[in-house]
Amino acid sequence: MDFEFSEEHLLVQEGARDLVESKIKPAAIDTDKNHMIDPTLVKTISELGYLGAYIPEVYSGADLDFLSYIIIIEEVSKACASTGILISAHTSLCCNPILQSGTETQKQNFLPSLATGEKIGCFLLTEPDSGSDAANIRTTYVEKEDAYILNGNKIFVTNGGYLGIGIVFATRDRSQGYKGISAFIVDLSTSGIEIMGNEEKLGIRGSYTTSFALDNVKVAKENLLGKEGEGFKIALETLNGGRIGVAAQALGIAEGAFDRSRAYAKERKQFGKPLAAVQAIQFKLADMKLKIESAKLITYKAAWLKCQKMQHSVESAMAKTIASETATWVTKEAIQVHGGYGYICEYEVERMFRDAKITEIYEGTNEIQRIVIAKDVLK
Amino acid sequence: MKILTTVKKVVDVELNIQVKEGKIVQDGLQYVMNAWDENAVEATVQLKENNGAETTLVCMGDSESTLMIRKAYAMGIENGIHVDDPLLESADSNGYAKVLKKIYENGDYDLIITGKQAQDTDNGHTGIMLAEYLDIPCVSNVVAIEVVDESQLAVSRIGDSGTEIINVNLPALLTVSDSINEPRLPALRGIMMAKKKAIETKTLADLELTLEQIDMQPVRTEILEYQAPSVRQAGKKFEGDAAEITAKVVQLLSNEAKVI
Repeated sequence: MDFEFSEEHLLVQEGARDLVESKIKPAAIDTDKNHMIDPTLVKTISELGYLGAYIPEVYSGADLDFLSYIIIIEEVSKACASTGILISAHTSLCCNPILQSGTETQKQNFLPSLATGEKIGCFLLTEPDSGSDAANIRTTYVEKEDAYILNGNKIFVTNGGYLGIGIVFATRDRSQGYKGISAFIVDLSTSGIEIMGNEEKLGIRGSYTTSFALDNVKVAKENLLGKEGEGFKIALETLNGGRIGVAAQALGIAEGAFDRSRAYAKERKQFGKPLAAVQAIQFKLADMKLKIESAKLITYKAAWLKCQKMQHSVESAMAKTIASETATWVTKEAIQVHGGYGYICEYEVERMFRDAKITEIYEGTNEIQRIVIAKDVLK
Repeated sequence: MKILTTVKKVVDVELNIQVKEGKIVQDGLQYVMNAWDENAVEATVQLKENNGAETTLVCMGDSESTLMIRKAYAMGIENGIHVDDPLLESADSNGYAKVLKKIYENGDYDLIITGKQAQDTDNGHTGIMLAEYLDIPCVSNVVAIEVVDESQLAVSRIGDSGTEIINVNLPALLTVSDSINEPRLPALRGIMMAKKKAIETKTLADLELTLEQIDMQPVRTEILEYQAPSVRQAGKKFEGDAAEITAKVVQLLSNEAKVI
């Protein structure tokens, strides 16, 4: 058993830290306030290859392993969870299914523009009446001559506002349940796709969360991802890996809040001594560290299993659950350590508190994760 | 042009450094490339990109120093030499300069670029000593480098009375200021390529150097003890009527601080 990072992982971590310290961290408050990541920052992130971290070199990616990618999401999310989910949703939910299930032509057609950030990727599964119950989607497709025609509504699309490439799920016949669902690679600038606005949210306000109306959207036959009827399987497999990305994002948020709390506790004096000398605060910091370390171990383990191409769905579910619940708890306590200042935007822990909550919800709620875990322990 | 760039691995001073019984507590320390050396690497890579150059980096230190070399690779340096010898653990600036002299002599370089100082010791000795030992021109605190021709550079440095522009014949040594450039962020693809590149590792024996030759028997200077800087006292805050506060502050500056 080896708990050490390799030289490659250390290099990636340091590279990500340099990017975070110089570009992402200074922009984090504005990213939240302006409800968007500055396009110049998105361009820098793209140019440095962070949107193609584990895409193979032949498709213009950096060819790093999955653990390197997880390290990147963690480091970025320490400073800005909105930027973390930009990279995570793009990579886990769009690049990954193309890599896993795409044909060679599809990989050649779509991955280079995704790897270089020319197009930002997203995932169009959720609908107004179908969230966790993903097999029950109402977006339909029919075959017409040399194409598929898609109709329906999609909501809660992370990164949707960039109008890049989306993995769209639709059913040919709702009576067939999950077996009727297929996945398509769709350029979101295709005619018939109408963006219905950006949601106002509690947290990750710098991340676009958009709704789409699909009105007779024509998708070329060669852009069917996998085989017809395999869409549900592709969605589940994608979310298995995606959950590790969300776990890393949550872990990063918790670590960011912890680092600030520790520094503040050492610096802030009340009653003639630093907060860090008060046992009530010491215990908060100890509990934060306990939870963070547990979340880190299971997140890295899930990433490691994926790197080894071993089964990781249960570990991904556990990592996402533990890390997200750690993030909401740690950020709440971080505000308490900061007292009144914790409630002020400038101190950033209030943003982290708002950002953390979504990690318990998206890419499968924690209740869904517990179903996955329970099913495994009772099998 | 063949350029030799030197890099030092230093403690990350952004993190909390603790001193116990006159020694720095090693546990929990993290190391980074010396910030001024990052400027040296950037200056080197820019010269390579703009004028064409063969670039070699040298870093002395334990096995973790290879991370500094790989980071420089990711930024665009082509070759790396790692001098790894436990005998160098207690080396001072002079010892390092003597080892670097040998590296320079083995490589037929036209230019040496170093950071003007290291952020851990803040000495700023090594580069200047190296130039002296090699008997080549040295320009310190450099803020711009222009290639005049194959044998000459026009170098700007910040001096006492402003910017000085100096024409310097090659071979030469430059120590660079942090205002010379903004070191580039390594791209992930660069990091990936850096991982695959070879690093030439040398011991003192490989370099045919003895401790006597590098003035380390005994070492010329030695750090006897570290002391933590004293903690800054909190200031005083006055609130209320401006005139009353002013009178009080004047009285304190005069009687307590004794500065007026």
